[in-house]
This record gives sequence, C-alpha cells and structure tokens, in this order.
Amino acid sequence: MATDLRISNISKIYPGCIANDNVSLQFKSGKIYALLGENGAGKSTLVKILSGVVSPDNGEVFLNEKNLKLSSPLDAKKNKIGMVFQHFNLFETLSVFENLSIDATEDNESLRVRVNEILKKYNFSIDLDVPVLNLSAGQKQKVEIIRCLLRSPKVLIMDEPTSVLTEQETEELFISLKKFCDEGILIIYITHKLKEVLSLCDEVAVMRKGKVVSVSQTQNERVETLANKMVGQKLAKIKKKINISKNKDEIFKVKHLNFYSDDPFETNLVNLNFSVKKGECLGIAGISGNGQNELFQILSGEIITPDTSIIFRNKEIAKLNPKQRREYLMAFSPEDRISQAAVPELKIYENVALNNFKSSNFFEKGLVNEKKIKEHSKKILSDFSVNTDNVELKSQFLSGGNLQKLILGRELITAPELLICYNPTWGLDVGAINYIHETLIKINDQEKSTILISTDTEELLKLSDRIAVIYKGKLSKIMPSEEVTPEKLGLLMGGGSID
Amino acid sequence: MALYFFTPFIAIILTILGGGIIFYILGFNPIEALKFYFITPISNLYGLSELLLKATPLCLIAIGLSFCFKSNNWNIGAEGQLTFGAIVGGGVALLFYNQEGFYILPLVIIAGAIGGMIFALIPAILKTYFNTNEILVSLMLVYVSKLLLDYLVVGPWSNPEGFNFPETRQFSDSSRMPLLFEGLRIHAGIFLALAAVMLSWFVLYKTYLGFQIKVSGLSLKTAKYAGFKGKTMILVVFMISGACAGLAGVGEITGPIGQLHRMISPDYGFTAIIVAFLGRLNPFGIIFASLVVALTYLGAETAQIFLQIPKYTGQVFQGMILFFLLASDYLLFFKVKILNLKKNELRY
Repeated sequence: MATDLRISNISKIYPGCIANDNVSLQFKSGKIYALLGENGAGKSTLVKILSGVVSPDNGEVFLNEKNLKLSSPLDAKKNKIGMVFQHFNLFETLSVFENLSIDATEDNESLRVRVNEILKKYNFSIDLDVPVLNLSAGQKQKVEIIRCLLRSPKVLIMDEPTSVLTEQETEELFISLKKFCDEGILIIYITHKLKEVLSLCDEVAVMRKGKVVSVSQTQNERVETLANKMVGQKLAKIKKKINISKNKDEIFKVKHLNFYSDDPFETNLVNLNFSVKKGECLGIAGISGNGQNELFQILSGEIITPDTSIIFRNKEIAKLNPKQRREYLMAFSPEDRISQAAVPELKIYENVALNNFKSSNFFEKGLVNEKKIKEHSKKILSDFSVNTDNVELKSQFLSGGNLQKLILGRELITAPELLICYNPTWGLDVGAINYIHETLIKINDQEKSTILISTDTEELLKLSDRIAVIYKGKLSKIMPSEEVTPEKLGLLMGGGSID
Repeated sequence: MALYFFTPFIAIILTILGGGIIFYILGFNPIEALKFYFITPISNLYGLSELLLKATPLCLIAIGLSFCFKSNNWNIGAEGQLTFGAIVGGGVALLFYNQEGFYILPLVIIAGAIGGMIFALIPAILKTYFNTNEILVSLMLVYVSKLLLDYLVVGPWSNPEGFNFPETRQFSDSSRMPLLFEGLRIHAGIFLALAAVMLSWFVLYKTYLGFQIKVSGLSLKTAKYAGFKGKTMILVVFMISGACAGLAGVGEITGPIGQLHRMISPDYGFTAIIVAFLGRLNPFGIIFASLVVALTYLGAETAQIFLQIPKYTGQVFQGMILFFLLASDYLLFFKVKILNLKKNELRY
C-alpha cells in the first residue's frame, strides 16, 4: 500500500529563534528522501515534530490524507512512524532480545519468532542473547531498526545514521534501506553528509535557517551544488596541503603505551608506539569505541599509565598531569565539548580559565585575576571569530560550532607546540567545520604539530600528513596520507588488513 | 535561574500549609497552632536571641558543608565532626577548669576547629586513597564520636563532684563565649558564623580553590581535564567542612552549655544539611535558611509547652522543608501528565 506523508505549513518558534518557518513538504513511499541541512537549520525540530516529541505552533501533518495529532512519541508509534535516533536508546547491559521486548506488546515466544523472521529477511546477523554492550555500533543500530520494523512502520526516519558506522557498515545500511524502500516503507534520511545523499537518496530537501530552500531530484545534483544550497554561500575549498615536514625533528614520541582496564566499557590499549614531527599532523582514524577515549586521556595526562614513556621536546612527561603538561606547551581539545572541554553552566571567561598554566597569571597567589582572564577571553572571542563579545555569557548559549571555536581558541592562544584534538568537528555545521580545518592547517604551517584523533575519514585525509588506524586498542602501521584511500581506511577501521 | 532561588520560598510556604493540615488532623485550630509555632517564639527579645542562638551553629555547619556539596563530596557526618570538635575543645577547656586567662577561649576554639578537621579527614582520606564512599564513612563516624563522648562523660572526664551524673565539670569563665547582652543567651559565637559567611563567599567566588570547587561540582570530567589536583581538593573541602562543624560544637559547649554532656547538639549536624540546600549552597542564602530552620526548633519547643505535642514535630517540619524543596526543584523541570492507559498499550 502506498504511503503519502504531507507536512503542511509547519512553524515552530523557540524564544529567540524560528526553528521551523512555514515548512511544507511531501513524501511518497517508494523513494528515499534526504533532509539536508546544517546544524540549527531546523531538521531536528522537524523530525521531533514528526516523532511527536515536540508539538508545532502551527501547521499539520497528514498521513494518507489523515490529519495526525502527534502530541507524544506514543502517537507517532501508533501511527506507524518509526524513528532511529543518532544516539542509541538501548540498555547496554541487557541482551538484544530483552531490549526488544521492553516495549513489546506480545509474549516472548511470538516476539522471538517475529524477530527471527526479520533477521532472516534482511540478512542481519545478530545474536539475540548477547548483551548490547558487546555489539558494534552498526549492530546496535540494527537492533534499533528491528525495534522499528517490529511495529511494521509506514514511515522510517533515520537521524544521522552513519556517524558511527564504518564504510562497510554504511554500505550494508544502505542496502537494507533500499530494501525497506522497495517494500513500500517511506524513508526519510537526515544527514549533513553530502555524498550519502547522492549515493542513497532519490529526492533531497535542503533546509536553511528553518526554511526549506530547495527540493530536487538527486540525479540533478552534485556535491558542490548541494553544499552551496546548504550553506548558502560559495564554499572556499580547502586544499590538502603538501607534506612539508619530512626530515623534521620528532618532538613527541610515545613508547610502550599499554592500558588495562577492568571496566567492560573501556578498551584496553596494547603496545602503542608512535611519534610526531615538528609541523606535522598525525591522524588517528578508527570507529568510536576502539580505544580513542583512553588514548586521548593518556596523552593528555588524565590517565597515568605505568611503564609508558612519553617524550615531549626531549623531556619525559609520562608522569605529569594535564596542567603540568600544559606548562610544556601541549594543548588538548577533547571530543566531549559539553561535559569535558567546557562546562555549559560556566561563563565564557570561566571556561577560558580552565586552560590555566603558569605564565597565564589567571590565578595569582591563589586569587582569581578576573580582569586578566576577561581580557584574555575577549582576545580569544575576536581572534577566533566566536559570534559574541560578551565574556559573561554562559557557555550553554553558544552553538556547538562557536563553543568549539572558543575551546580551540583557548587551547591555541597560548601557541602550544603540540595540539591533541579528538573529533574536533563532531556534529558541527559545514561553516564551522571549514573554519576549524583552516585553523588546524594554519598551526601546522606555523611549524606546530597536531595529533588528530577522529572518526571522520574525510577530515583525516584532508588534514593529516600521516595516518594510523586504531582498532580494538591496537594501532596499525603509520602510513603517509598520499598512500591512503577512504577504502583502505574503512577496511582497517573495520578490522581488516591491507597487506 | 530566578526560579532556582525562588523555589526555597515555595518550599517554605508549602511546609507551612502542610504543617497546618497536620495540626488540623491532630484536632488543633491550624491558624492558632501555626501562630504558636512560628510567631509566638520570636515575639519577644528573648525569643529573638534564642533564634539567633540556634541559627548560629546551623549557619556555621551549613557554610562548611557547602564547600563539600559544591564540589560533589557528600559529607553527611557533620554531626560527628561537631561532636569530636566539642570533645577536643572541651578537653582543652577542662584542662583549664580552675584557671583564668584571656588566652584560654581562643585555645579552646582553635582546638575545637582542629578536632572537627581531623575527624572530617578520616572519610576524606579513605575516599581519596581507598576509594570508599564518603557518605557511609562520614555517617558511621557520627556514632563513633557520640559513643566516645558518652564514654568520656561517664568515665574519665566525669565530674568528680558530680554525683555520677553523665557530665563533666563546668568550664571556667575564661573558656566561655562572652554573652552579647545581659540576660540573653546569645553569645559571641554568632560573629564566628558571620565571619565564616564572609570568608566562604570570598573563597568560593574569588580564589583558585573556589574555582576548582565550582568546576569539580559541575563536571568532574572537566576538573580532571583541567588538571586540578582532585585529591588535594577533596581533603581541603572536608577539612573546611570539619573545621566549621567543630567550631559549631565548641560554640555550643562554651556558649549556652558550659560543660560536656551527652546531649550537646539536637542533631544540628544533620539539620544543617537541610539548611545548606535550602540556602542553595550560597553563603547569604544560608544565613536566611539557618534562621528559618532555627525557627522550627523554637516552634517545636513552644508547641510542646502550649499545645502539649512532642517537640519532635520540629523534625517533621524540617523533613517537610527538605521534601518540598526537593519536590519543587524536581517538578520545576517536568510536566505532570495523566495517562489513560488501556490494556496491551505501550507502557511508559
């Protein structure tokens, strides 16, 4: 049976921001639709409206000409609208089957029969009785999809589904999605990855500042045309720089980095050895959860491991804490902007004071030197084009991109010799990503080094001089980036080997 | 944000309403009973002095606790630190029981603060070096210190001329807090509390230590990332907290009590937890909160006399304040919705 989903004149206004401005769209089953836009373009709000999490101020949603009242996620489920969120809603310690049975309406035997049918039909290989924490991100996502399929949905909404997947897993996902589409499920695919839109979707709606700016057939589009529609300005394309750092001195050298943890949620690291040259960017690729968290914390000094040797500018720093490492001109930008790199409840200048090092004089004789910190913060805000000049503003009011600029600015304004960053552009929009990439390239040009731990292969290929892949706590051999292709990376990230 | 500081008032109003309902159920005229409870006790000078007398230890302890709570350290054992501070301070006072001298009182006060500090260091050291839970350790140590006090006042320190009453000698006048007014019990300890308020405001908002406390309380991950010395900070906040509780203990025994006996504190150390939260862990909020909670102590005593109900109603009121405070904090961010669920429908 054909499905027809129509969104008519939807508006949603939040204080100080129009999230959806008179949005009208029409979707028909048999096609895969992309909803494309930067962060803050209004995609998420629209999806939240469709899944009943948020109610619109104005406008209506029609499913097969029936006017839907979506006032809770329950209503969406009743109306056969399924949703797979970017962050999985699974209980890690429960088994796959237990997770599926939590909101099931039938008894366990018939549920198991139905789940097995789905597994068989779509060629999913998942053991139903293992705890979810043992699954890969791709498998977890499949569990989420099965959960939707159990309700025989008419509409399936996927929110940024590939952000945690390997290239191979992404391909598998696309195959499944095409299958669902052939079976008459209407698929709405939300993303800001342009290539995925072109390879997967039939039609694409681009949103910008709460409005739908374009609806078109993907066959008529190219990456550049879509990017321009999405950002609304010509993108200055960043060129991959030439490797200038051959035969330079090694300024950072890690030997015998081992880490063992009793915590099943942490990854053990096994004998990591690598070095970084002056002016070089070393990329460390990998799917999240393969030991990047642990690696970052060991490099920053949050975790001290015995027997590891870390030499930085000819000094052994393995036993130093983050603050002491900063004194030696290292800087760190963690993945988690909101609960680690910065505290949203703190004011901007207070967050700046977190990068406290001896010569900063932020704290003199144990007292806060508020004036100094504020001056310093003002400089960061203007030098790194954060879109506010109010250092008293609480950081929670900054968008992700501006917060990341603030964090990078805070770390870089001290002119560190080595910056270690972990997923610096995670979840940011194209404009902010470009800015941050330019900044990272600039510091390499100034003969400063970077270690870029990232799950975004495109970013790694663009910025790194050499790349290694971390998989299950082990580091692959380090390759010059000219020799690396996305396919090679994907293979290594998924645990394959290239020899 | 404004609501955040407004909820304590909502909680107080709800507590008064709740109290009225309880009085009504007990068969009293609620208006009259509440008047006996909240108005009569402070309708004269003596009452006001008693209010300040009771607010003093509450305020001091709550100020100390705010350092712990702000940095995510759950020191529940202020009552124990108060008791141990009183034991150490009292011990010094007893050494000088037959001597006079201006130096005695400062010595007693310092000894009390150090006593509380040492006692608070026990859960702090166990937490930092052995990963124990400070809630359990600090709570259990309360009973240790109370039993120690019990042993001392019936055993080695009991008054040789005291007919075997479980109490020590009276302290000499030199180790008593000076009274502020003739005929009233309010004593110089209130200046200690006010000094603690000022000092804590300065430390919390103007120093590196305060900054570390603030960051650690909001996000331990960030504190670690910034390279704060987490262990040192835990030790320091527990020491501050213990010292304040010890001072409160010494203030009681050198103020209104004048000796050591079993009942030196009507659970000030526990009640101060409520004061700290009702005051939003803010030094000036805590002044206000300590006055409100002190009133529940006084009201309970008046109610016992005039209404013949046990003075433990004071704890009922204190419990209600905390309950309503937590409830209004929680409900502020949620919407209540009544679902009409049929069988076999999704459960949420």
